Formats: sequence, C-alpha cells, structure tokens
Amino acid sequence: MKPAPQQEDYSSQSGGREGGNTRRPFFRRRKICPFSGDKAPKIDYKDVRLLQKFVSERGKIVPSRISAVSCKKQRVLSQAIKRSRFLALLPYVVK
Amino acid sequence: MALYENIFIARQDLTTSQVDSLVDRFSSIVTAQGGQVTKKEYWGLRNLAYPIKKNKKGHYVLFNLDAPPAAILEMERNMGLSEDLLRHLTIKVEELETEPSAMMQSRNREYSREGSFKPRSENADSEMEINPIDSGENS
Repeated sequence: MKPAPQQEDYSSQSGGREGGNTRRPFFRRRKICPFSGDKAPKIDYKDVRLLQKFVSERGKIVPSRISAVSCKKQRVLSQAIKRSRFLALLPYVVK
Repeated sequence: MALYENIFIARQDLTTSQVDSLVDRFSSIVTAQGGQVTKKEYWGLRNLAYPIKKNKKGHYVLFNLDAPPAAILEMERNMGLSEDLLRHLTIKVEELETEPSAMMQSRNREYSREGSFKPRSENADSEMEINPIDSGENS
C-alpha cells in the first residue's frame, strides 16, 4: 500500500526533472519497468544476456525495488532465472 | 496436441555425432507416439555455470515439440535413463518460437559485430584478429 501515494506525488511533478521543488530537494525520476511498454524484451529463460542484468554479482536475483521491474514481470523473471540456473546457464552462487 | 520446449545437456566427452544420434533417438520416440519435432537446435559445447557430475562443459540441444502428453512422458523417461545426459528440462509453452532462440541470436549478434569491425581493419590480417575474440566471447 505504501508506494501508491508516492507514485502519485511523482506523477504530479512530472514536469520538472531537475527538481526546483522546495519540498523535495532530491527529486528522483520515476523508474519504469524495463519489461513494460512497446519495445520491451520478452522474458525468456534461454536469453542469458538479458537475465544477467537482473542478477547480482553474487548470482542473486535483484529485488524489484532496485531494478524497477513490475510485480507481475518480476514473478515471470524469477521463474526464468531459476530455470536457466537449473540448466547451468546461470550460476546459483558466484564465490 | 500440446506445445513443449525441451532442452537437454549431454556429457562433455561425447562427440557431435553421438549427440546427433541422441537427438535422433529422442525425436524418433516423440514421432513414434504421434508427436512432431518442429525445431531442433544444437547450441554446441557450452561452459556450464557450475559443474554437474564433474563435467565443466556440456552439449546443449533444444527441441520444440508439438506432441501428446504420452509422448513427452515416454521421452522424459528415456532421458532419465540415459547416462549420457546431465540435465533435461521440458516446459509447456503457449506458443512455440519459430525463429532461432535467444541463444542463437546472441551468437549471430556477435558475428554481426565482427562484420562491423571488418571494414576498419581492411587487411587480410583481420581474420587473425577476429578469431581470438570469437573464442573468448563464446567461452
């Protein structure tokens, strides 16, 4: 429930990217889910190069609050990463 | 009939002809039960991300299947029995990809990059430069 009011705030100030708002000096651009939109890549467990962007150096799945992947896509993504781990395309852990 | 994708990894010390015979064996099982193999892809000998049964590499093969469940069951059973396989994974999909999969496309992308490099180097030596890059990226 928390993020919802925040998002509304951001969209209301969408005009000024550099800030200029006295109330919020650190204006962070609203992140967009990389898998939504027209040209979004298809999540595929065979596409190692794509999946690698959403895996940390240690081999962990990056949380969606950092990667800005939408909730729905994050579920699909994590499934894909786990599949490609099983096939030894991605590591379970990087030591 | 349902649509499936199947990937299996064969042991590293098999020759490509042995892998081919495995491919033929499994696809014949599917076709014998009234299924169809719509696409076969051989990804080559790839490095595994972690060792499986003391193998560091494996032959990857991808099947796109349009087959009844019984055929898939029989094929999976045979894959489980085969000692030449390290892993196999079958997934039911909504649609089968007709184009080459992401793995093959990424390989093509590498080739196209090399193509863009070629005109710069111009000379016949360019081949010498390209080969080490190629092997480095594949490994």
